[in-house]
Amino acid sequence: MKKDKENNFKTPEGYFDSFHDRLMDKIKQEEAAAGESIIPKTDGFTVPEAYFSNLTDDVLSKTISSEKGKVVQLKPYRKFFYGAAAAAAVLFLVFVPNWTTEPQIGFEDLAHTEIDDYFDTAQLDMSSYEIAEAVSLEDIELSDVMDDNLEVENILDYLDENVEDIEELNLDYSDYE
Amino acid sequence: MIAEETLVNKLKQKKSQAKAFEVLVNTYKERLYWHIRRIVLDHDDADDVLQNTFIKVYRNIDGFKGDSKLYSWMYRIATNESLTFLKQKSKKLGVSDEELKNSMVENLQSDVYFEGTEIQLKLQKALATLPDKQKLVFSMKYFQEMKYDEISEVLETSVGALKASYHLAVKKIETYLKDG
Repeated sequence: MKKDKENNFKTPEGYFDSFHDRLMDKIKQEEAAAGESIIPKTDGFTVPEAYFSNLTDDVLSKTISSEKGKVVQLKPYRKFFYGAAAAAAVLFLVFVPNWTTEPQIGFEDLAHTEIDDYFDTAQLDMSSYEIAEAVSLEDIELSDVMDDNLEVENILDYLDENVEDIEELNLDYSDYE
Repeated sequence: MIAEETLVNKLKQKKSQAKAFEVLVNTYKERLYWHIRRIVLDHDDADDVLQNTFIKVYRNIDGFKGDSKLYSWMYRIATNESLTFLKQKSKKLGVSDEELKNSMVENLQSDVYFEGTEIQLKLQKALATLPDKQKLVFSMKYFQEMKYDEISEVLETSVGALKASYHLAVKKIETYLKDG
């Protein structure tokens, strides 16, 4: 046991010799605890047994095998259908009077719900920029395309999460002076 | 593993297409499945979306120009298919996107293919509160351990924006798990 000359306190044998090692261990432990996330590493999802081993066959049966299995008709009746359709079209033109007086269906006759439905379900593959080019924004108000009012807080949240560089917005600062 | 360029060439030739497509499915089926499953949560839904994804890949392989990598093109199709599937599902059920997300998480408790603990269920609840993009970035980075460059190519977003999204997502999830 080591004795301090001035105040008579004692320390265990070898205390100062091992102090550095113990300190480093403690720092490492604290760093590991701080870096450890509380988010679990796995998410608990499972799949049925042998799902992946049967999956390839399932997919191939709906793609390659279904194409190979297409039935080719021995007697191609299809060409007769074209002839019949052409004859029916001629008869229709001759015997249906005043067909041009029938009201034409225009774009404005489409119900809004049908248009909404089309945009929701069709795979348009258009980017926001392409849509912006095709649609004139001059006569459109935000309320025309949104059901709910857009709160300023939502806009700020969106900008906060999605805009890295404020310069990208091309703001005209003279509007704010 | 067969080189991507060779695989694409084989996929575009009628003679070698069948074999090459089988290789493609075997190579990517598990990765794409887990990507889709983490978006739609339910196994049967994930199976439907995965099969549709491969059918679209098969039908459109001739249109693949090689501007991006094959796997990122397929991931993009899988992501779009999954999000469209959810949109159609909420429309069909007559509920909002948010209501659908909440009910999907609630259904996990009775799902035979979810063996999550309480904290894992809570994680799903936390994920349901995130915007789609943040949720996608978190899932691709945290669970699928994809690199930012790879995620950037799939989501067509800059690496900087992805890092910010991931950081925000982690913060929100941690807060939810601590306080929620």
